[in-house]
Amino acid sequence: MSEPPLHRDTDLVLSVEDVSKSFDGFKAISDLTFYLGEGELRTIIGPNGAGKSTFMDLITGRTRPDTGSLKLHLPDGHDVDLTKFPEYRINRLGLARKFQTPSVYTEHSVHDNLLLSLPRARSLFSTVFYRQSTADREAIEEALETVRLQDHRDEIAGNLSHGQKQWLEIGMLLAQKPSVLLVDEPAAGMSDDETHRTGELLISLAGRHSLIVIEHDMTFVRQIARDGKVTVLHQGSVLCEGHFDEVQNNAKVREVYLGRGKAA
Amino acid sequence: MNFSKDRIEWIIVALVSLVVLVLLPALNLLSPGSALHVSTFQLGVWGKYLCFAVLAMSLNLLWGYTGLLCLGQNLFFALGGYALGMYLMLMIGPDPVYNSPLPDFMDFLGYPELPPHWKPFDSFAFAALAVLWVPGLLAFIFGFLAFRARIKGVYFAILTQALTYAAALLFFRNDFTFGGNNGFTDFKTILGADLREPATLRWLFVASGILTLATYCLISWLLRTKFGKVQQAIRDSENRVRFSGYSTTSFKLFIFTLSAVLAGMAGALYVPQVGIINPSEMVAAKGLDVVVWVAVGGRGSKFGPIIGAIAVNLLKSYTTRHFPESWLIISGGLFVFVVLFMPKGIVGLPGQFRGLKAKWDARRASRTAEATA
Amino acid sequence: MRLLAILPLLLAALLAQEAPPAEATDGREVREVLSDLVLGKGGEEANLARLGEFGDPLIEEVVAAWRIGGVLVAPGAPPDGEIVLLKRDGGVVELLSGQPYAGSPGEAKVNRAGRSLRRKLSRIVDVLELASPDPGFRADAAMKLGSGQNPDFLAELQARLPKQKQAGVRRAFEEAINISLLANGTEMQKLAAVEWLGDHDSVAGRDFIRKLRDNLEDEAGDEAAMIRKAADEALDKIASYEKAVEIKGTLFRGLSTGSVLLVVSYGLAITFGLMGVINMAHGEFIAIGAYTVYVVQNIFAAQFGAGSDGFENYFLVSLPCAFLVAALFGVLLERGVIRFLYKRPLESLLATWGISMIIQQLLRLQFGAANVQVASPEWLSGGFEFSGVSITYNRLFLIVFAGVVILMTWLLLRRTPLGLQIRATMQNRAMASSLGIASNRVNMLTFGFGSGLAGLAGAFLSQIGNVGPSMGQAYIVDSFMVVVIGGVGNLLGAALSSLGIGMVDQSLQPVLGPVMGKICVLIAIILFLQWRPGGLFPSRSRSLDD
Repeated sequence: MSEPPLHRDTDLVLSVEDVSKSFDGFKAISDLTFYLGEGELRTIIGPNGAGKSTFMDLITGRTRPDTGSLKLHLPDGHDVDLTKFPEYRINRLGLARKFQTPSVYTEHSVHDNLLLSLPRARSLFSTVFYRQSTADREAIEEALETVRLQDHRDEIAGNLSHGQKQWLEIGMLLAQKPSVLLVDEPAAGMSDDETHRTGELLISLAGRHSLIVIEHDMTFVRQIARDGKVTVLHQGSVLCEGHFDEVQNNAKVREVYLGRGKAA
Repeated sequence: MNFSKDRIEWIIVALVSLVVLVLLPALNLLSPGSALHVSTFQLGVWGKYLCFAVLAMSLNLLWGYTGLLCLGQNLFFALGGYALGMYLMLMIGPDPVYNSPLPDFMDFLGYPELPPHWKPFDSFAFAALAVLWVPGLLAFIFGFLAFRARIKGVYFAILTQALTYAAALLFFRNDFTFGGNNGFTDFKTILGADLREPATLRWLFVASGILTLATYCLISWLLRTKFGKVQQAIRDSENRVRFSGYSTTSFKLFIFTLSAVLAGMAGALYVPQVGIINPSEMVAAKGLDVVVWVAVGGRGSKFGPIIGAIAVNLLKSYTTRHFPESWLIISGGLFVFVVLFMPKGIVGLPGQFRGLKAKWDARRASRTAEATA
Repeated sequence: MRLLAILPLLLAALLAQEAPPAEATDGREVREVLSDLVLGKGGEEANLARLGEFGDPLIEEVVAAWRIGGVLVAPGAPPDGEIVLLKRDGGVVELLSGQPYAGSPGEAKVNRAGRSLRRKLSRIVDVLELASPDPGFRADAAMKLGSGQNPDFLAELQARLPKQKQAGVRRAFEEAINISLLANGTEMQKLAAVEWLGDHDSVAGRDFIRKLRDNLEDEAGDEAAMIRKAADEALDKIASYEKAVEIKGTLFRGLSTGSVLLVVSYGLAITFGLMGVINMAHGEFIAIGAYTVYVVQNIFAAQFGAGSDGFENYFLVSLPCAFLVAALFGVLLERGVIRFLYKRPLESLLATWGISMIIQQLLRLQFGAANVQVASPEWLSGGFEFSGVSITYNRLFLIVFAGVVILMTWLLLRRTPLGLQIRATMQNRAMASSLGIASNRVNMLTFGFGSGLAGLAGAFLSQIGNVGPSMGQAYIVDSFMVVVIGGVGNLLGAALSSLGIGMVDQSLQPVLGPVMGKICVLIAIILFLQWRPGGLFPSRSRSLDD
């Protein structure tokens, strides 16, 4: 291993180094190294089974790595070893995750969905005595506005359209005021128009937050990766990393995506 | 709309409480000749139903609002009953046959003296505390292991049944010091009051009513807080809750323990009113009975479990009296029917009818629209 | 499917080929010798020597009768001129033919044997069974005589040893001789006997060696010391052999308990594990299978008469019946209730519980609340001993049957088009049906198959346990545990976990008693799930909110 990078000084928020994970002998992630810079929007692509979802599971504590280190760099200069914490603690550290299928509280109103996502009173007994403050009310309003669901405030989330649910979940993530957002296929099941708007939203979030977006839809990737970097995962490790055009013209990437034949 | 709905709810609760806590005991005080007299026996039956209602509410807290189906709620109920039963056994005093202060089954099995874990139970306060912590502790330990291993849904249900099964096996044993097969019975006094006196039974009935009301209020209050919202969010999408920074394990553990404590209290009030507790209260079928009450009344609703517990038990007492052989068939059939056609139980029926009517109206409207077009 | 239903039948037929029961000898010769002896024909010594070669129980009868005046001699037709008669409870018979005596018994004279002849005869009777045509009797008699340590019989045993051709009987004779030698032999013979018994793991000889050892405890002398040393070694050998037998016994019982669990839980593993449906009525399908056996048994008893050869076959016929009847009920349940609940596993649990109550009560109304009697066919009763472990046929059959169930299921799932469709539907219901698999039909057949297996399990349980309306309840918790431990949706896991639970159960039971043993198993299961929450073979799903 080479010298460890100077994290805080080189504006990284997340560093994943030499991580491996296997399930019953199958290597889902092998020797993966990955850094995420402050305010960066990173897009991850890769064929099915490349390990994209497992990668997110590892960062969010859903599964534990066999080897390697996962570190979050807090604004105060401290490094946190993510492998030591349960999911809810990792979340409280400022890592928010959006699932592939929209995951909202279907029996709660849109408002309550957001209320539950605020980083307030999350321990057992504090929830019993929690009272909504003006600041919280404003935070909810802001989130509603960002995801354009002001008119659906009191609607039961289960009754929203698929696209609206995706947006609500993004709103819930934003309400958590995270430093890093992990977004898994946000455009799945959205119309072209909704997809485009989602892309613009994600781009506007970059800078204030750091984002990792997993996506399959290449038009969407081209849109959101216009300034940032794209990482291609293949068989559990990084195949190549770079600007969208570089990646697109990379021979190895073409081979992986188009099969064995030397792509025309 | 919301406001008036709340108000109606509170009016209902107040009226029912008035009837249960004041009117029925008062009618019991009337002379037996009076047309309005409520017999002590009937009062006892309703006191039993109220205990069942609390048991059903405790399961509803767990299953209806948190999505954790426990098939062993009767175990906690029985444990509470056993804890108070131990006190009641020690209050019987020297029995005429053996002339010893030990409970009769201990004389029968030849115990030289009271086992050490029995000794403190001659204090009512100790027994009353045990009613709370024994079921609570068991639920806490079991829940800790189960939730830590992320066991939920069907697996949780089956493991709770296995736990109940194991406990019943233990309690059926004579050498487990809890009376084996026969359990505890022939109680005489509670806190110095004679258990055969109508006045004592009346007070037990009122206590059951108060417990029911208190449980109802506690659950209603919890549901209004953010705690209640988290609870229901766990039911609908536990991972989302966990990834929003909540330790769902501690929430579930707390709710499971709380519901066990509630069930234990119900059991403790049940035992002096029916005068017996034995391991047959712990068998798997009883655990599923509780599930039936909640499902029939309507799970995930505040009144549902109370209505379900009372309605099913009324039906049971009617059927077992008139058609003793068909009770199991009727209750089984009822259950299948409710699961298939009334997913929200009795409480959900008006909503279901409204839904049907709306659908029907819509179809008729579209048909007339077609006709006019 | 049809082939699968026949398999257990074939298997049963194979197992049924058992050694024919030993037939008594024709007996003509014995009768002649006895008759000659009574009439004093031929040499007495020669006749007695010949008599010792027959193991016929008739000898005992005649000798006993002779003593109490039950042997008569009547004048008869030439060439012999005299007929020997034998008094029996039912009347007087001719000794030679065994036929009832046609003449008047009043003319016959009572015949009595002399004192010395009587003594010699009683010796022959004592060792009579040593000459029995049945090897089992011979071996038992040898052990009995040896354990008596009577010097008189030692010579008898030694004399007969060379004639024993079967290894088992030969061993019994040798063991008996050596045990007898422990008391009757010279010091050198005793030493050799101790060594022999130790080398041959003679459990029967253990107490005799110990007795010898205790008697020699305080005796001085090289020989005594040598015997003491040899005895200690022999006792150690026997103890370790007993330990080994105990372990083997536990293994066998664990295997058979595991097989019960496996047979009972395999149907559940299919309906619960593969389909995600909690069938609380599974236990009642077991009961349905058992009651089917009962009904078939009654039909056979009415048709062929109880105990007849035809009746003996009832169990073979009842196996496919149990499977089909339970499968039919399973299909009805699936069509009527479960298919509406595939997406609501907890609800399916509740509805099937309602069904289970209904079935239980219907069984109670139809057959009564008490247990019903199901007779085991002859070929499933009894057992044999294998290297010290007693093995009963019904348990053995159960183990083999469990293997057949695994094989059958494996063949169905892996080698038939239906199996392919089942596996596809289990993995992804929506995908399979969009690919043109009639998932309705697949669900129905799978559920039917799972229920049929439960019925078969019930058929077998009818042979080893009680048949009653609530018999299924006893197995339901255990079988759920098997499926949970095995890992949902994994039949191999179910097989391994049922064997594992069976083994643990049987090893704990002798130490802790049945109830505590069961409780420990349950606790162990809960702790096991801490270590592997998904069971032995967890299924992995890609959906995030499962």
